[in-house]
Order: sequence, then structure tokens, then C-alpha cells
Amino acid sequence: MQASRARLFKEYKEVQREKVADPDIQLACDDTNIFKWTALIKGPSETPFEGGVFQLVFSVPEQYPLQPPQVRFLTKIFHPNVHFKTGEICLDILKNAWSPAWTLQSVCRAIIALMAHPEPDSPLNCDSGNLVDVLFV
Amino acid sequence: MASGSINVSIPSIPRDFGKKKRANRSAKLKQCKLDARREQWLSQGAVKNKGCKEELMGPRVSPQQIHEEERKNALENLQMRRRGVGVGVGEDGNGNGNENGSIHHDFDLDSPLNSPTGSSVLGGNESGTNFSASSSSSTTSGSSVGGSITEEDGEENDNCLDDWEAMADALAANDDDNKLENHFDENNPCLELQSSLEYEPTVQLDCNLPNLGFQNENLTQERKVPPRVTPGNSRAWRPDDALRPQSLPNLPKQRSFKNIDRHYGQGVLPWGCASGVNVPTSCPICTEDLDLTDTSFLPCSCGFQVCLFCHKKMLELDGRCPNCRELYKNDPVKVETSVRRGSLTLRLARSCSMRS
Repeated sequence: MQASRARLFKEYKEVQREKVADPDIQLACDDTNIFKWTALIKGPSETPFEGGVFQLVFSVPEQYPLQPPQVRFLTKIFHPNVHFKTGEICLDILKNAWSPAWTLQSVCRAIIALMAHPEPDSPLNCDSGNLVDVLFV
Repeated sequence: MASGSINVSIPSIPRDFGKKKRANRSAKLKQCKLDARREQWLSQGAVKNKGCKEELMGPRVSPQQIHEEERKNALENLQMRRRGVGVGVGEDGNGNGNENGSIHHDFDLDSPLNSPTGSSVLGGNESGTNFSASSSSSTTSGSSVGGSITEEDGEENDNCLDDWEAMADALAANDDDNKLENHFDENNPCLELQSSLEYEPTVQLDCNLPNLGFQNENLTQERKVPPRVTPGNSRAWRPDDALRPQSLPNLPKQRSFKNIDRHYGQGVLPWGCASGVNVPTSCPICTEDLDLTDTSFLPCSCGFQVCLFCHKKMLELDGRCPNCRELYKNDPVKVETSVRRGSLTLRLARSCSMRS
């Protein structure tokens, strides 16, 4: 509990400091609850998501960073690895490949990378996955 | 150990400086004893060093044997000595004994020039005592020199003596002052410092010439007499300084000590900052400050450091390094570092005590 809080405070400071450094990611925590975060990420260029802004919601467990945060898209997104209705993201680093060394910021970057490079083999959105398979393979 | 240097000093009572010598001897004795005790306490390899010293004491080569060889070095020595005499007189101006002392001091300076031919420890030991007397650090005496002797130190001792004898030989060779003056000419700055006082010691040396060995002992004794303030004493020891007490640690070592000292003195954070590269000041996982145990704890070969608490938690989870995702090994590098650290602190304590 304390560890996760301290860690999140530290990340908050980092975010404030590096706001300018990474304009694609705007990370902000809830005013009253440091375990609730929201992020606005820009769709990566040269993808169907370019020009869009997508909102993410983070729900940080108390065991963080030993446990990964739960992240989902608030913004509807048509992506093979994102559940269209719930916004759930299928990303290994948010599941079994999580490492305590990751931060919320780095999770956002990973999600941007996932948007640019979908994994149709493990789809949460089968239609999207099939489309990717058809179109790109 | 102290008795070695004392024994050395007893048989050689110079005619001119005997009184002075006696006046100071009791003080010297005390100091030697103190030094010996301290050195015993300090030195880890006392036994080894003793052996070393005995070895050195054993094969004493008479000055005459080396005479020929020394004579070659005489010119160099003389030049060096000339400079030294000038400086010594300029700063001391206490009297004959002091001047002599300064001369011998200069001989020591010469020592790097000379080839390390084997000879007795006398010069080395006595020079050691001299250090203690003059620097008043009271950590070095003949015995302490022996205590801290490495093989290099032994050689240094030899060098010292060689220089002494070389000096004596040189004087024998140059009985007249004309030659000396020639050398003076070569050292221009020292020319200005010349005075009648400067010449006195050399004259006395010439008087002693017939018995070279005796003269050497006299000289060394005279050196011990005054707690002089020589240029060598007014500044820190330099690594190439032959007068530097041989019981002091080598300079590279000293540097490392100092670093360690600094780090320890300022605590954990500066340690991390100073050593710089990969040592974080706080655990990247829980952001808690790393204490000494944590900073010395290297759980993974990738160098990613975490605090012990987080490490334990991660072992319970999947046991992988957060950075490289390699499985943590059961026996982290911690043991090694702790051992190294222990030795470091040991040495640190030693160097500290020697400095005080």
C-alpha cells in the first residue's frame, strides 16, 4: 500500500517533469485517488489511428508495481487486441510479462506500439484480427 | 622492532653531535616504542614483515664493497644534494646538526636515481625514524618501516643507504671543495643560497671520511636529532618523494582510501552519486532509499538493483529480474560484494588511524 503509493507519487513527478518530452502521451491521475489514472494518447502516425486521440483508464492495484495496472480504452477503438465493447487490452506486459520496472508512462508507450503493430494471433476483437489477417498476410 | 633502530643508533655516537644526540635519544626511544606498538597494532602481516626485516638486517654489505659502484653515482648525488642543502639551510638555519640533517634529507631525495644494490637496512631504518621525528606523525619509525615493508619498500631502504654511502664516497672522491663548487655552479638557484654555513657540513663530512661506515652512522644519527621543518615536511608526501615514510600506503591505495572515506563519510546518497554509473539512490520498484546493504546488493548480473524487500517480493512472485527478465539466481552477487566491502572498511580503518 505504502510502497505503491510512494511509487505512484514518484511516477506522478516524473510525468510532470516529462510532459514536454513525450507529447504523444498525456498522463494524469485522479485528483482524489492516486490509484486512478487517465491517459490521452495520440494515434501513431502511418496507422489507421493517426490523428485520433484515445483515452485510457488505469486502475492501479495496491500491489503495484509488483502487480500490473489494469488498463482499458475508454475511447472506442477497432483493434485486434482491444475488446471493442469493454476496451480491454490484450497485451502481454499487462498480464504475465509484467515487470515492476515498467511504469504507467511506459505502459502507454507499449500501448501506442501495440496500436501500430497489432497481434492478430491473439485477438480480443476477432473481426479486426481477421481483417488484419486478410489485409496484411 | 624498535630496538633495531635503537641498536643502530647506539654504537655510532658522533664526536660533534653526541650531546645533542643524547638529549634527544630518550624522546626518540619513546617514540620508537610508541611507533612500534602502533605499527604492531596496525600491521596485519606483522610476522611476515618481521621476517622481511630480519632478512634485510642480515646481509649487510659494507660501504667499501659498494664503493666503486657508488662512485659512479656520486656526481648525480652531489648535484641533488647541493640543491637540497641550499633549501635546507634556508629553511632551517638551526645549526650544524640541522644542516647535516638537511643534507641527508637530500640524499634520500636522491635515492630514486640510484640503482638498488643490496645493502644494510641501517639507512632505511634510521631514515624511517627520522620521518617520525620530523613529521611528528609518530606513525613511522624504523620498526614501522619494517612493519609496512613490502618488497618495494625494502628496495627503497636499500636505495636510501646506497645514497648515503654514495654520498660519502662522493665526498671521499671530492676531498676538495673545488669540485663541490663546480656542482654549485650547475645549480644556479642554489648558488644564491650559499653561505658559509652550507659549507660546514660538507667539511665535517670530509673530516669523517676515513671511516666511511662510521660516518654513515653519524650522519644518520645527526639526521635524527632535530625535528626539522624541511620542505619535505611542510607539504604532503609525494609519491616519488623518497623521504616519504614507507609505512604510508602507496598513493594509488591512498587515493582509493580517500574516495572510500568520502563516500562513507557522506553516507549512502553521495556514494551512489559518486560511483555514478549504475548505482541508484532509491529502489526503482518501491522508490525507497537504498541503504548500504541494498546498494551492495546486486541481485542480477544485469546490474539492476532493487532493495531487499522488493527482491524478496519478486522472488515470491516469479523470481525474475524486472529489468532483464532473467530468473534470479539463488546465490546473488551479494556475498562477493559484502566481502569486498568488508576488506575495504578494514583498510579504511587502517589508513585513517595512520593519518591521525
